[in-house]
Amino acid sequence: MLRFSSRDGHGLPHRVGVGLVWLLAIFNIGVLAWMGLAALREHTAIFSDPWGLSTFGEFGNFLKAWDESGFGAATLNTVVLVAGSAVVLVAISAPAAYALARSGTRISGVMALFFALGIGIPVQVIVIPLFVMLENIGLINSLVGLFILYVALSLPFTVFLLTAFFGSLPEEVEEAAAIDGAGPLRTFLQISLPLARGGLITALLLNAIGLWNETFLALVFIQDTDLQTLPLALLGFMQSQQYSGSDYGALFAGVCILVLPMLLLYVWLGRRIVEGMTLGAVK
Amino acid sequence: MAVASATAVAGRGVRRTKASAASLTPLGRRRRALFWPFIAPALVLYLVFFVGPVLASVWVSFHRWDGVGDLEPRGLQNYEILLGDSTFIDSFANTMLILVGVGAATFALSFALTMVLREMRGRKFVRAVLFFPYIVSPVVLSVLWGFLFRSPEGLLTTLWHGITGSTPNWLGDNLFTVICIGLVWVNTGFFTTIIMAGVDRIPADLYEDSALAGATAWQRFWYITLPLTWDVVATAAVIWTISSLKIFEFIYAFGGTTNDMPTVEVWNSALFIYGSTFGGRNPQFQFGYASASAVVMLVVVGVLVVLLRRVMRRAQIQF
Repeated sequence: MLRFSSRDGHGLPHRVGVGLVWLLAIFNIGVLAWMGLAALREHTAIFSDPWGLSTFGEFGNFLKAWDESGFGAATLNTVVLVAGSAVVLVAISAPAAYALARSGTRISGVMALFFALGIGIPVQVIVIPLFVMLENIGLINSLVGLFILYVALSLPFTVFLLTAFFGSLPEEVEEAAAIDGAGPLRTFLQISLPLARGGLITALLLNAIGLWNETFLALVFIQDTDLQTLPLALLGFMQSQQYSGSDYGALFAGVCILVLPMLLLYVWLGRRIVEGMTLGAVK
Repeated sequence: MAVASATAVAGRGVRRTKASAASLTPLGRRRRALFWPFIAPALVLYLVFFVGPVLASVWVSFHRWDGVGDLEPRGLQNYEILLGDSTFIDSFANTMLILVGVGAATFALSFALTMVLREMRGRKFVRAVLFFPYIVSPVVLSVLWGFLFRSPEGLLTTLWHGITGSTPNWLGDNLFTVICIGLVWVNTGFFTTIIMAGVDRIPADLYEDSALAGATAWQRFWYITLPLTWDVVATAAVIWTISSLKIFEFIYAFGGTTNDMPTVEVWNSALFIYGSTFGGRNPQFQFGYASASAVVMLVVVGVLVVLLRRVMRRAQIQF
């Protein structure tokens, strides 16, 4: 850490800066904490006294969100969909990334760039052909259809991330394995994959986070309430509030169901998440 | 959002690993035999779900089509209509406003935060807290951000009322500004982390020397920090350009639900495409017209990324 500042002392501007930064951090924590508290309060109390704590202890909000508003079913859909897509995604991307990182031919460089281009394409640009395509094979309004899209559309990022990881692994171990008579397939499965475990976990994690929050594709491709994912359930809940009167207590309970798993994951694996997400920029 | 992050690559290419003599060794040769089988599944999916649809979008943009009947060729007409469509122009202007305005604010704030954070206690904790919104669902952030500014019961509105006595209707009068500030709030933590990583690579003795020579904080920033983090800033700018054009949910959830769209005034290009195809109570299904706007968006991404890389390219400073 840099310690030059002690020499010229901490001037007033610096102290003001530190104060403002803490204010910002407290704001973030405050919003999160307020959300958690509001999820346990009554609708009218939240509105008449947003800063207060009256009617705290309404655990019914969570039951209401979970049962009546379909967050329970949506959680199940989302967990299955996200876990399935992330695993299949890594299973398809890992061999491709390994081939791109290790073959060292001209074509592999071109292919790596070709895949990376996909990261720059906004999904809104290709959503129309995708819709027509899935409509033709009867996969609109189907979790299988959404699963296929999630896997396919997350490929460029995952291949890119894993190519960087495989590229950073030492090649000597693989050479040793080859000399000992292991074929390239076996070398990949038994030597390279275990070595790249960190990268594979990061790829799983980042995709799980991205897909957990994914809204646009779900919005376009899913219509039935039974099939909705969590972000859709939240949007649907906002929709129903326009007719049946709003209930922000239950709304914030639903919001908590979306956020808390991410918060736990962040507390547990925060460093890995942050490093993985900023990898492309800092390297 | 994860997908937006490592975007740096687009255009930079993935570093080739030691091509060395690998291809001549037995290991290299046998690996080569596995090249195509290994990348085939990913490549097929990529061709079918990315490359094909991009080409199809371009093709459809020259037609009138509702997605069901036949494609009706109409040349460049869709593009001509776009130019006269005030909804499209306004959405496009909003996209650019977010790209430039929110981008400039985010980068300025990220640099300011970096300069303060690196000299303060608890920096890692604070940085982690500021980063967190980046991995939360934008729909959730939108709901929370909206509640802060609700009138009259929003948290910030009541606070404002307590201080000034007035109750402004923020969401009614300045919705787009509120959205833009919200976007700065969401993205600052991510870009602060990137810029800080760049600043941390700068050797401390440069700062010590300049401090001895009596440089002010501003001079240290201008002559040391900025030039030595320029490559990181350039990459971050590319990431921001790409991810800012993809912004959808955060805006959508301000008034948007499973059925309704938010007011036209806050639309950006991404919402425009959704609004003229699948969105709203009476979906328009103007596939040809929306494809034309999608092509415009794709061209804009491409041109901006290339331009940015040109403008921001500089001789790399060795240190």
